[in-house]
Amino acid sequence: MDILLKLFWVFLKIGTFSFGGGMVIIPLVENEVVMKYGWLTKREFIDAVTLGQITPGPVVISATFIGYKVYGILGAIVSTVSVILPSFVMICLATQAIKKFQENKLLANFFRGARIAVIGMILQAGLSIGKSSLIDFKTIFIAGIALISLLKYKLNPIWILLGAGIVGLVS
Amino acid sequence: MEQSIRKQADELYKRGLLVFNQPITKETLKLVTELWQEALKLYRKIGDESKAREIGNSLISLYKKKSIRIERKEEQGSNILTKFVNWNLFFKIGCLGFGGPMAVFSLLENELVQRKKILTDKDFLEGAVLGDILPGPVTMDIVTYTGYKLKKWSGAIRSTLIFILPSFILMIILAMLYDKYKITPKIETIFECLGAAVTGLIVSVGLRLGEKEIKDYRGAGILIWAFISSLIFKFDILTVVGLAGIAGTILYIGPKG
Repeated sequence: MDILLKLFWVFLKIGTFSFGGGMVIIPLVENEVVMKYGWLTKREFIDAVTLGQITPGPVVISATFIGYKVYGILGAIVSTVSVILPSFVMICLATQAIKKFQENKLLANFFRGARIAVIGMILQAGLSIGKSSLIDFKTIFIAGIALISLLKYKLNPIWILLGAGIVGLVS
Repeated sequence: MEQSIRKQADELYKRGLLVFNQPITKETLKLVTELWQEALKLYRKIGDESKAREIGNSLISLYKKKSIRIERKEEQGSNILTKFVNWNLFFKIGCLGFGGPMAVFSLLENELVQRKKILTDKDFLEGAVLGDILPGPVTMDIVTYTGYKLKKWSGAIRSTLIFILPSFILMIILAMLYDKYKITPKIETIFECLGAAVTGLIVSVGLRLGEKEIKDYRGAGILIWAFISSLIFKFDILTVVGLAGIAGTILYIGPKG
């Protein structure tokens, strides 16, 4: 019981400070889980992160793995819920607040600028993912096909991901 | 004879009025309409036109009220609520979102905005902004945001849980396998190809949204700034989005704002 509470507290903290999502929080998690509490060895932690990248969900799902290692299924549930909880509550409250202040010009303008920044970062992400993954003829070919079939033929991107995954498996 | 009918009609009208003063719902409105219509008929029967007209006017104003209420309801609903929401779509994306956060982001945009039209471009980007500013992975934040928009807290809980469930189960299975065999699957080549596909995916999403959102030089300026600052200066997401928001607040104050 004590360890479950600790698990809950640690992942609640991690969930609260995981701004920007993804890899940013990994050192923070390592610090707590490996150094401070010694729940996992360093090797196990690296594997947890790798596995987190394999699953279709966000990397925070590594919390499930860690929770499982510490306290079985119950631990997995506790760690997953507590890592999601802070952002979940904040998003809900923020969505509510935005609706309330819809008419506010300043807020509307803030979001107008911020929305554009998101688009800029989407394009930047495309560039940096492209830089690291477009390494030979095959990958450039895949990216080209993906882009054309999405923009021109409105293909469902799920098929593109599946196709690329299969190509990766057989090659 | 006439006297008793008049009495009956008065009674019906009064009862209608009593119901009318209660909080208005679909049921009470229906009840009032029925009572007054009945009273109207009775007044007509005994030839009291002035009373009949009075009730007729009351009925008209009642109809107006009713139609306003219904209109408002539809207005609220037509955004999203009246549309049949297939919550399975979150499950689907939760299952198929291989290839990292940007792949999931593209899938969400495709499914929520383009196919199911649950969110507008603006809504979707707003969700992404919140996801960037607040903690938690952006994709999950968008899922929570969408759920909340659809059905408040219960919707948010539903969408988030449905979305995370496939990964959760898969992760437990992987953890069990890991405990037993100490292995992690080999994934490098798959990820290479997935990365290439994700590049195409995410660029198409960026171009599509950019086309819709950027209408003047101010927008273009912010876009370029965000692109460059995250590419070259490697600012973190929070800084980029926050500063762009502040820039927007200042820039769009102008005449057309």
